[in-house]
Amino acid sequence: MRMLFTAVMMFAAALNLAASEIHAPAQVVAGSAITIQTSGSGDATFYLIGSVVANKSKVQAGSSIPIDSDQLEHAGRYVAVLCASDGCAATNFFVNPATANRLSFLVHPSRIPVGTSDGISAVAIVHDSFRNLVLKPEPVTFSIMAKNEKPVSAVRTSENAVAWVRLTSARKEGPTRLGASIGHADEIRVVQQVAADACNLRIKASRDKRGFLIETDPIHDCSGNPVPDGTVVSFTESDNAGKTTVDVPIKRGTAKVEMPIEGRAKITVASGVVTGNELEVAGGQ
Amino acid sequence: MKATALRYGSLLVLVAIILLGLAAYHLRAAADDDLPHVQFDADNISPRPIEDLTSKSVPRDYALAWQTMAQGLAGNNTGLLDGYFTGLAKQDFTERIKSQLKSGLQTRYTDRGHKLEALFYSPAGDVMELRDHAQLDMQVLDGGKVIYDEPVNADFTVLMTPGADRWLIRQIQATSGEKP
Repeated sequence: MRMLFTAVMMFAAALNLAASEIHAPAQVVAGSAITIQTSGSGDATFYLIGSVVANKSKVQAGSSIPIDSDQLEHAGRYVAVLCASDGCAATNFFVNPATANRLSFLVHPSRIPVGTSDGISAVAIVHDSFRNLVLKPEPVTFSIMAKNEKPVSAVRTSENAVAWVRLTSARKEGPTRLGASIGHADEIRVVQQVAADACNLRIKASRDKRGFLIETDPIHDCSGNPVPDGTVVSFTESDNAGKTTVDVPIKRGTAKVEMPIEGRAKITVASGVVTGNELEVAGGQ
Repeated sequence: MKATALRYGSLLVLVAIILLGLAAYHLRAAADDDLPHVQFDADNISPRPIEDLTSKSVPRDYALAWQTMAQGLAGNNTGLLDGYFTGLAKQDFTERIKSQLKSGLQTRYTDRGHKLEALFYSPAGDVMELRDHAQLDMQVLDGGKVIYDEPVNADFTVLMTPGADRWLIRQIQATSGEKP
């Protein structure tokens, strides 16, 4: 009985020795070449399955299988399978991201009124050279380069591949360059800062052939930046007959409109939520 | 004679409508059954608080993305990736399917559910980062023969961005599950 048991065990051990096995390093850095060790003998098929690859090749069981670096550029879980005449054996390994060397830089919005508190959002997503997310904390340098001003920079440490800042737009209009950098990556985005809402909106009236010419003073925001041409200014005339509103775009810094006015009338002006002064005029005088 | 024909005709149309309705209901139920279960947690999201609608659409679209990805990898159909993938994620899965086609391979996933945790939602609302703990059964087939079959507990870091009417997976990366 004992002899029979020993024979069975030896046979099983022999089978086990003959069965193909496959071994890969547990952790690999993206873009590195590796060698996968196999055991067994005879013709076999080798499969490498990863997030981007699903390759198949003929190999000899028992040989070392070299995997080129370009097959291991994408971080993630890989499965290596060796199928020989005695069945298939498999092993898993992880490809981890390489050193942080690239950034995706998202800046929003691309156009913003001056002096908007926390109005600009800048998000940097940290990648390695192969565009894998680098999840370990990395310092990302954000910088602001406003026109005719010294650049200002701040460092934020990424968390799960993301670093971000929120910024207040400058007091002066014009383009501002926002940068984010890490390793060899230096990404720049431009945010156009435009004048905010009009401030101290004032109108004056003068007679002309067909009634009154109503004209604004040059329109600026509260920081003194000229409100851009095309911004709509609304002139409203109120008299006994009712109300009439005319919308006029700013041209060369001012807005003007001709209004035929009979009798007494009040004229008001507004741009967006900002209202200006009120005039009382009398037509036919 | 004409009235009888009309009566039987109407009856046939009615029966056809009922049958079509039942078939549509069955197909819809089957589609819902296939949809992976996603347990969504946005308690720790920052810096932007998540909107009610977004907290519903993100797990729904994530589940649909996994469903279409699994179908795409099983049938080697890159067209299925158009719905819920964009950017690097779409590029990578397209490459994987092309590679499968070239090697005569297929991958089958049986989805056993996802624990999806929202980590980061950008101040402008243009990107969300999530971590998924997924439980799957993965089978790789060569010419219809199973060469690999294993249950997989995998962690993924996911970037999603809003599209016109849904959230899309922009990047998905399996991680070893270790804290960075």
